[in-house]
Amino acid sequence: MIDRFASGFDPFVIPFLIGMVFVLGYCIVGAIRLVFQLDHADRKRFLVSLITPKTIWKNIKDIFLNCLIHVKLWKRNKLLGYMHSSIAFGWFMLIVLGHIECFVYMPHRVKLFYYPIFFNYFVAENEYTLRGAIFFFLMDFFLLMVLSGIVLAIIKRVRSRLFGMRRTTRPSLLDRIGLYSLWLIFPLRLLAESFTAHISGGSFLTIPMNMLFKAFLGDHMNMLPTWWAYSIALCVFMCVLPFTRYMHIPTEMLLIPFRNAGLTIKHARKGFAKAQVYSCPGCGVCIDACPMSVKKANIKDTTVYLNRNIRRGNEKRIEEISDKCLLCGKCTAVCQVGVDGPQMRIAQRSIRNYGLDQDYTGFDISAMKASVSAEPSPGRVLYFAGCMTALTPAISQAMESVFRKAGVDYAFMDKDGGLCCGRPVLMAGRFEQARELIRKNKEIIQASGASTLVLSCPICYKVFREHYKLEGIRVVHHTEYMLELVKAGKLVLEKGEGSMVYHDPCELGRGCGVYEQPRELLRQAGELVEAAQNREMSICCGGSLGSLTLGFDKREDITRNALNNLVSGDPATIVTACPLCKGTFARYADRPVEDIAETVNRHTK
Amino acid sequence: MKDNIVIIGGGIAGMEAAHQLLLLGYKPILVEKSDHLGGHVADWHKLFPDMSPAKDAVRDLEEKIKEANIFLETEVSFINRLKNGYNVMFTNGVNVICKAILLATGFNLFEASRKEEYGYGIYNQVMTNSDLERWFNTGDDKRINGKEIKKVGFVHCVGSRDVKAGNPQCSKVCCITAIKQAMEVKEFFPDAEVYCFYMDLRLFGKKYEDFYIKAQMESGVHFIRGRVSEVSENIEGKVIVKTEDTLSGKPAKVTLDLLVLMSGIVCNKQAVDTASLVQVKTDSDGFLKSKDNILNIIETDSKGVFLAGTATGPKTVPETVAEARAAALAIHNYLVTLK
Repeated sequence: MIDRFASGFDPFVIPFLIGMVFVLGYCIVGAIRLVFQLDHADRKRFLVSLITPKTIWKNIKDIFLNCLIHVKLWKRNKLLGYMHSSIAFGWFMLIVLGHIECFVYMPHRVKLFYYPIFFNYFVAENEYTLRGAIFFFLMDFFLLMVLSGIVLAIIKRVRSRLFGMRRTTRPSLLDRIGLYSLWLIFPLRLLAESFTAHISGGSFLTIPMNMLFKAFLGDHMNMLPTWWAYSIALCVFMCVLPFTRYMHIPTEMLLIPFRNAGLTIKHARKGFAKAQVYSCPGCGVCIDACPMSVKKANIKDTTVYLNRNIRRGNEKRIEEISDKCLLCGKCTAVCQVGVDGPQMRIAQRSIRNYGLDQDYTGFDISAMKASVSAEPSPGRVLYFAGCMTALTPAISQAMESVFRKAGVDYAFMDKDGGLCCGRPVLMAGRFEQARELIRKNKEIIQASGASTLVLSCPICYKVFREHYKLEGIRVVHHTEYMLELVKAGKLVLEKGEGSMVYHDPCELGRGCGVYEQPRELLRQAGELVEAAQNREMSICCGGSLGSLTLGFDKREDITRNALNNLVSGDPATIVTACPLCKGTFARYADRPVEDIAETVNRHTK
Repeated sequence: MKDNIVIIGGGIAGMEAAHQLLLLGYKPILVEKSDHLGGHVADWHKLFPDMSPAKDAVRDLEEKIKEANIFLETEVSFINRLKNGYNVMFTNGVNVICKAILLATGFNLFEASRKEEYGYGIYNQVMTNSDLERWFNTGDDKRINGKEIKKVGFVHCVGSRDVKAGNPQCSKVCCITAIKQAMEVKEFFPDAEVYCFYMDLRLFGKKYEDFYIKAQMESGVHFIRGRVSEVSENIEGKVIVKTEDTLSGKPAKVTLDLLVLMSGIVCNKQAVDTASLVQVKTDSDGFLKSKDNILNIIETDSKGVFLAGTATGPKTVPETVAEARAAALAIHNYLVTLK
């Protein structure tokens, strides 16, 4: 392989160089800014993670699997998975192979930034290169791969339904420019490489094309314009990239190490939050997933639009979108880059200026403390029912019955009234108030002498698990606890008649990752059927405390839709493990709805 | 002239209509799904405002309709539309051809257990207005008998004016019923403290306000304005009611020996199915749909099908009786024009 031009340069590389320098500069500056926006502790954590072998390896693995191969997407939708990975991985391989080619044949040109990209223009084939035909083959192969992805992308743009997407976002003008330039890059590359294939060599794709072109177009004059066009398409794409949804490509490579370093959102708009916003590819998968979008309502209140509005700085819409959300977390469950919709919204709520700040410091908890107070004992259990269970007393009654049957030494923390666990205020973004409630509850719990805290409400469970830090006290949800009792032989479940479906409450399933224990219990109590969408795909009942503005009338459609999903297997009873889900479903269900505590209580003696 | 007229529902509306139709010379056929006539009124003890026994009112009506065909424990299995009338098949096998049908299908009491936070069916000492009337009538209820009744509470608007329970309408009669029952309880247990938890009192009828004043001045019933948020039970089995006294702006917690829930009037779901046999639809409030809610509440969009009583919404006894009479007249006028 020999140099065609002594200079190794042609003016057509200039557009590419401009684009490349711009986008690289933009991303590097942006990344540094994001890292500096982290608070001191987080920044330290992040930097340490970058030199810790375990996280280094995890970062590389995650970036490779998610950004290039799109493993998560493959699992969800094979067609979309192929489309994305063919473009991302194919392009990546073209770049890598281009560089290897350059290293092997033109090592003295490697230092030229553009050379590997336009390799086929600058070189001429000779006998020596024939040994490397495998490279040419691979280059054509991956180009074909990318082109197949582009064809799918074009079909998807016209008919998204073929790809299993009912609703998708409307791209903005810049998004369209980015999109069309991206589509153009690879056909232009094919043309350009085909025009030079008889000089620089090629393989199964470019050589036949070259022959075909020769028969039609004949002369060499077409060569340079297509290389120019290819370079310009690259330039356009790279220049608009920071202002389009394609910014998600570089940002995700920063988001993954952020996440692997264990960062959480500390500031509503900066650092980790900003990385999430810019990692959003705007695909709109969250629209179909959002429980509020049933009957085509609230489509523009989904996470993809939250990110878009944060990017645009539209404060009014940010507020509306943040307040309306049920915080069920399903958008996060389906999101390919893992944008945390609920946490993003809670962060937006937290920077709001409220007219009134509640003050919980005046609450007197001495009576509550006295009612549960006891000497520390390893077997002692403290049961906290929570506000929602207070409205569904059948659950706390069943729990007390279960405790008695199993011979548990228990105290009912809020039988005669208690304090809120703090989760609703936390969801409203009022962290200070939540901290006060947590502090008071913690005091009561620590006075109880219990070693285990049992909660029948997943809303409470989540906050107790994540924010209480109760040393020496185990926090369990009643589904887990009852299963422990059954496994220890303290509770004997008897199989009953009639099938049951289990509804995964958002806060317990997606929120705390408890899916198996309730099912194991129910299987011992009777026949368990599954809902059409279950586990992490479970649909919010619509009763969630997460939403600050969604009216009661607006929630009915959400509940009915969730119910339709649950009864697809025609169960006799709907069983859930959340007092709020129970109350919400019971309103419209055509069959009995009960909490798992009631089910367990019915099936034990 | 002896035209058949099918009356579906043997409550006071159906009975009064049958009575009037008999007087007008028609042959009313009254079907009732339960084993006795009188509907909800037959289960009640005394009627406001005169505290006359409900039994007497029902017996009085029963006397008047002796000549009518009455089928108890019978329901409608299907209705076929004929050219100028209907062919109605009953579950007892009787088949009737009639010119007109009167839907006097009444209401259902709201299932208090659906408001789980009030603990009906969960706590021992919680009952409904209908349970209390049964006790007045039979003297048999283990929630009261053998118990020391020192404090009694009444919760107004249980399942009424409650969007979350699916019933936004006012049941109209529970305010006065609660006051009546509070006074009656006070008569049985003169030493007991009686509380009424209300959101607002709708005392529109004849002598209702007098009742309210009497309840306060003479019986000493306590009225607390505020919706009950939750009910719990203490170790002694007493019920604890949490509410807010909105007049003093303070949360209130009252421990009671007995809690009575004023279950509201909701549409009779079975009546909706029956009405659909003659293409009578339901209105947005869930009750049967009249031709016009102002001037023509009795007629429907289906020819020869009429409505009376609480099938179209909550009503008091005198209103129901008046409407039944009006329905009889409307049927008569309809049959006259048909000829």
